[in-house]
Amino acid sequence: MAALGDGDFAALQILLKAPSKDAVRQLCQECFSSPPAAPGPLAQRACPGLAVSAEEAEQLVSALHNLTRHVVYRGLTGAEDILCLFPENFHQNLKNLLTKIILENISAWRNEAQASQISLPRLVDMDWRVDIKTSSDSIVRMAVPTCLLQLKIQEDAALCGNNPVVSALTVELSKETLDTMLEGLGRIRDQLSAVANK
Amino acid sequence: MGLLNFTRDPVPEAVSGDMHNLNQLSAQQFSELTEVLFRFLTEPKEVERFLTQLSDFATMNKISLGPLKNIVKSILLVPNGALKRNLSSEQVRADFIALGLSEEKASYFAEQWKVNSPTLTRLAVGQTLMINQLIDMEWKFGVTAGSSELEKVGSIFLQLKLVVKKGTQLENVYVELTLPQFYSFLHEMERVKTSLESFS
Repeated sequence: MAALGDGDFAALQILLKAPSKDAVRQLCQECFSSPPAAPGPLAQRACPGLAVSAEEAEQLVSALHNLTRHVVYRGLTGAEDILCLFPENFHQNLKNLLTKIILENISAWRNEAQASQISLPRLVDMDWRVDIKTSSDSIVRMAVPTCLLQLKIQEDAALCGNNPVVSALTVELSKETLDTMLEGLGRIRDQLSAVANK
Repeated sequence: MGLLNFTRDPVPEAVSGDMHNLNQLSAQQFSELTEVLFRFLTEPKEVERFLTQLSDFATMNKISLGPLKNIVKSILLVPNGALKRNLSSEQVRADFIALGLSEEKASYFAEQWKVNSPTLTRLAVGQTLMINQLIDMEWKFGVTAGSSELEKVGSIFLQLKLVVKKGTQLENVYVELTLPQFYSFLHEMERVKTSLESFS
């Protein structure tokens, strides 16, 4: 993640025209979550309140996005670390306000970044039911228990944007398969405990 | 012929003739033939081997292969029907006698049936339809060290690969779980096991 350039800090000074501290706060939160490649829509919403041109508003949105993302990326937690990012001649009060807002939101933003990380399709839900098979074309009468397991799997959030695709997969397990699976899961649990206890 | 246990359909006419021919075999020959038959029944995929063994039997005992195959077809009607209907060995014996087989040979076959029926039943249950059967599960877990959004992460991830049989093809399904999800999954699977065991 590239550090911020002078152009970014210049753009940030536009915030001095903001109507209130809450407006700045609101804008910071929205800029963090906005996609970096498309500052347009958010900028258009912001520029009336700031009385700037669309182009300047876009620069501001980009700059705020870069600033907030940079802090989250580096994992900065202290006020001093954040204050150090700003150049010497940056407006003092604005610098303090931005630092304060960032510190307020940092852990929520960190969680959001982690949640939207790329990953394999994620398990979102699971349900099961146990059936007793009483008859089939190969045996007229039997009483064989079997398990149906439904896994709801969500594709990578980053690919789907706001409409995550959730697919349901239903698998059937015999008792033997379930026992083997539990053995495997037990081994995972043991290894996890071993790692946690190190 | 009275009511048979292994089938409700009328039996082909050739069967009584085949049973008569079977009665002509010595006890030793009948026991060998029965062994060949049960070996095939317990391993139904070994068709080549079965046909070879039948042909060897025919040569050694100076019987023509054609008629022998017909006899075998008739005999196999009974164990196939018996398996489907969970018949006891007494019922199998009674059916063979009703078809015309000697008491001695019928009793012998029924004995062999009793010995082999657990294996055969398990095979038949195994053939029962399973939807999207779970064949295999592979897993790996590790630590996410960093990402494009977070320089240092340090969270644990668990990835499962489930191999599912869809019809005749195998499909791989990849899923990622967080640690709390894993423990919840394990807990639910243990509940399923308890449930399955209470119904066994």
